[in-house]
Amino acid sequence: MFPTPIEKRSRAARITYQSLLPLALILWLLPLIAVMVFSIRPFSDFTQGNYWGVPSSFEFFTNYGMVFFESDMPRYLLNSVFITVPTVIGAVALSCMTGFALGIYRFRGNLLIFFMFIAGNFVPFQILMVPVRDLTVDMGLYDTKLGLILFHVAFQTGFCTLFMRNFIRALPYELIEAARVEGVAEWRIFWFVVLPLMRPAIAALSVLIFTFIWNDYFWAIVLTQGPDAQPVTAGITSFNSQFVAQYHLMSAGSIVAAIPPVAIFFLMQRHFIAGLTLGAVK
Amino acid sequence: MRSIFKTGAAALAATTMLAGAAHADAHAALSGTLRIVSDMSNPGPRATMEMLAAEFDEMHPDLEVDLTIVDREAWKTQIRNVLSADPPDVVNWYAANRMGPYVNAGLFMDITDWWDAGDYAGLESVRGALTQDGRQWGVPYTYYQWGVYYREDIFNELGLSEPATWEEELANCQVIVDSGRACYTIGTRFLWTAGGWFDYLNMRTNGFDFHMELARGEVPWTDDRVRQTFANWRQLIDMGGFIADHQNYSWQEALPFMINGEATAYLMGNFAVDQLRNGGLTDDQLDFYQFPIITEGLPQGEDAPTDTFHVASGAQNVEAARAFLAYVTSPEVQTRINGPDNLGQLPVNANSSVADDEFLQQGFAMLSQNAQGGIAQFFDRDWPAEMASIGMEGLQEFMVFPDNLDDILERLEAARQRIY
Repeated sequence: MFPTPIEKRSRAARITYQSLLPLALILWLLPLIAVMVFSIRPFSDFTQGNYWGVPSSFEFFTNYGMVFFESDMPRYLLNSVFITVPTVIGAVALSCMTGFALGIYRFRGNLLIFFMFIAGNFVPFQILMVPVRDLTVDMGLYDTKLGLILFHVAFQTGFCTLFMRNFIRALPYELIEAARVEGVAEWRIFWFVVLPLMRPAIAALSVLIFTFIWNDYFWAIVLTQGPDAQPVTAGITSFNSQFVAQYHLMSAGSIVAAIPPVAIFFLMQRHFIAGLTLGAVK
Repeated sequence: MRSIFKTGAAALAATTMLAGAAHADAHAALSGTLRIVSDMSNPGPRATMEMLAAEFDEMHPDLEVDLTIVDREAWKTQIRNVLSADPPDVVNWYAANRMGPYVNAGLFMDITDWWDAGDYAGLESVRGALTQDGRQWGVPYTYYQWGVYYREDIFNELGLSEPATWEEELANCQVIVDSGRACYTIGTRFLWTAGGWFDYLNMRTNGFDFHMELARGEVPWTDDRVRQTFANWRQLIDMGGFIADHQNYSWQEALPFMINGEATAYLMGNFAVDQLRNGGLTDDQLDFYQFPIITEGLPQGEDAPTDTFHVASGAQNVEAARAFLAYVTSPEVQTRINGPDNLGQLPVNANSSVADDEFLQQGFAMLSQNAQGGIAQFFDRDWPAEMASIGMEGLQEFMVFPDNLDDILERLEAARQRIY
């Protein structure tokens, strides 16, 4: 039923496994390695066609210095933070409440409302592009961080609600009944009984939403235009110039942009994995 | 953004005194905010644009210049959105047919009056490129020549000289191919490079006027004259004149072939020079010649794409926009922004001087003395956008599978009948 652990296999199988694993790893990571090596190459390497060889000089400090001090990159990074953090807070806070309402109270239309939240997830978001863009223009939120935040909060709340509602459903209902018997007000039940129990779900969801929003590219280019509001994912393209693509700076920029989600992932790895499986088995 | 101006402005104050004085008197009353969206996102042009904005800001104490620089490629998809959603005062774009969609949609302001009022003395020769429906819709600020950039050292080694005619060109190419090299490097992954080849071959085979008739959709693609152009092209393809697998490279990725000596020349715009130098070639190894003559007696037409400034029809600060356009096109500013420290291209004002650069000088001489046929803007700017993209796909396909020519031409012809 279970695969035999590799230590219990024959010697030959183990040796093949041990030698193939690093190979597969390198092959798998090759694009990433290439980006890392690109980010320390001088620009002339690209015009000379030296893509895979040893870099002709080590330009780590020049390239990353350019990214940090002579481009709008820090600005873009800051925008990303200002967009991602409020979105995470907003979406998680809203979905805790919707999740509580949908998970605890039995009222007419409960299931219908819940399905509507879920249905939002099945709409391919590309088809919303034109109406959402028109809406933000009409509301005067076009090319502002606020516009992007509001949209992300609205759109992510659907998924978060599904997640939270299922989690709250799995909590022992007796706890709430017990609190009600004690005469605790409903909002105090939410605040003092349910919310502390939801901590793992909140942590997991925050990490997930953080990576979603940080890595969003589509809405960033639809709803924002320049360094005033655009997050880092869209900002990287500013290293693309009229005639040439500055691969070395783009690579360095990509790595800088990828560091926050990677760091968050490693710091909160436990929650991340919990988040992926949470709600999967109910 | 503003902080850049303030620090930059102090340093520039000295240089702007002279240039600014004359303009400042005339437009001292400008106030409010001038919003510019520029696509000059290369480091060099970007610095130039920031300098222009800072200087203009400095010249008009009551005027605030708000500059946004957008990635050049992204701008091509954003411009319509920007002009209609939240129009700035001044934007960058391209001359000729590429203006068409925005002129027709009423997004660019008609500035014919400013041209007529003499705002742009010295720009008479380029007025045509900014004209549509008999009106003017913008001003140019820079352009550059196209032509054949080649490895002078390899030509010397093989005993070749710059070809002036198609026969010489083919003979040269045969020698180059026999030496184990390709005559031309090219990267057609993004299609437009093939458009450059077609522009030149067609202008040389059938003349500039025919080329423009084709661009305006007045001649069918299946015309025998068009076929003749492709037949000439095929001569080079069949003899192995182009590098193999060029459909996999961008123009930039095709540079190493020339730098490493696997190919001897590149039909390209002047922006290639920077990259070739950057790749380690010296000016002794590089030279330039005008695309050879194919049909005797036809005046030569040349590609020289022109970049432009336009005023949005929804502009808030029209007076400041007008002053900015006049400032950008003035001879002194033109000389400076097209100089080697800035754009490194050709100034549009006839009263400006050209930078002391071997290639710019040759290009300027070529365009001013040897382009009587006319100045084209480039395949993807002269043809309507939809036709250009279908057309360039066909050109690339032809370069890879020359036998498909009949198919390709019929497809292009069907597209022509649908689009125009």
